Amino acid sequence: MDSHIKKVYIPMTETGFYILLCLREEAHGYRIVKKTEQLTNGEIKISPGTLYGSLSKMEKDGLISFIREEEKRKIYCITDLGTQVLELEMKRIERLYKSMMEAK
Amino acid sequence: MKNEKTEIKYFSIPQWKEEETYLREQHKNGWKFVEVNGFCVYHFQKCDPEDVVYQLDYNPDSVSQKSEYIQMFNDCGWEYLQNYVGYSYFRKAASEMNGTEEAIFCDDASRLDMMKRVFSGRMLPLLGIFFLIIIPQIMLQSRIDDPFNHGLMIFFCVMFLFYLAMFVSFAIPFWKYYRSLHKI
Repeated sequence: MDSHIKKVYIPMTETGFYILLCLREEAHGYRIVKKTEQLTNGEIKISPGTLYGSLSKMEKDGLISFIREEEKRKIYCITDLGTQVLELEMKRIERLYKSMMEAK
Repeated sequence: MKNEKTEIKYFSIPQWKEEETYLREQHKNGWKFVEVNGFCVYHFQKCDPEDVVYQLDYNPDSVSQKSEYIQMFNDCGWEYLQNYVGYSYFRKAASEMNGTEEAIFCDDASRLDMMKRVFSGRMLPLLGIFFLIIIPQIMLQSRIDDPFNHGLMIFFCVMFLFYLAMFVSFAIPFWKYYRSLHKI
């Protein structure tokens, strides 16, 4: 992983994190929105402009790849690089959570 | 009573927020936006007053994949209206938003990305004109002692101020977002 990817994606925006989390299975944009809503009990609603921008950026950077198109909806899936980035971010969040609990 | 009206309203490049507010106010007053064309000519149609949120996106990436782009917004309940000088126009009724005001961007990072796209797509060419034409012309015309050249110099000075005002009005919100993202 080059330093550019690390600099841009770690730490990650909340939207970015949920996109990668959802794309461990193939999904299109709206599916990501719905799944994120379910996971967060409706607290996080990803907006289409943010989603579109993030997906094109992540595709350009090779974190996700385009699989196929279904009814004008592009279906994406996470790549190996994307998985590495997601795991790094998960470790960071785990560390945050641990520190938070210990500091109580 | 007339059912249609047109208004000429000028918004400079960084003023898309003002434009969104303008369209929303019109709809609240019972004038539904139909389209904008020509040189800033806005067409409206009479309707029942309603609170409808209007949003503008600027995304050159979307041009080659327009139907997928529009589909994604439609899925999220945003109606696509048109494209005008690179901006895509969307709207969604506030009543469909379950009490929380929605926008097409949900975080500062993506709002900043939008500004960057506007900057490179619309502002960079203007910066080119500013430094390669306006400033050299002011220097050139000021050296020639002739009423015609004085006139030209005044013209380029007015352009200079106009462009400067536009850059400043773009730079301030840009700087605010940038600061809010990079604060410690």
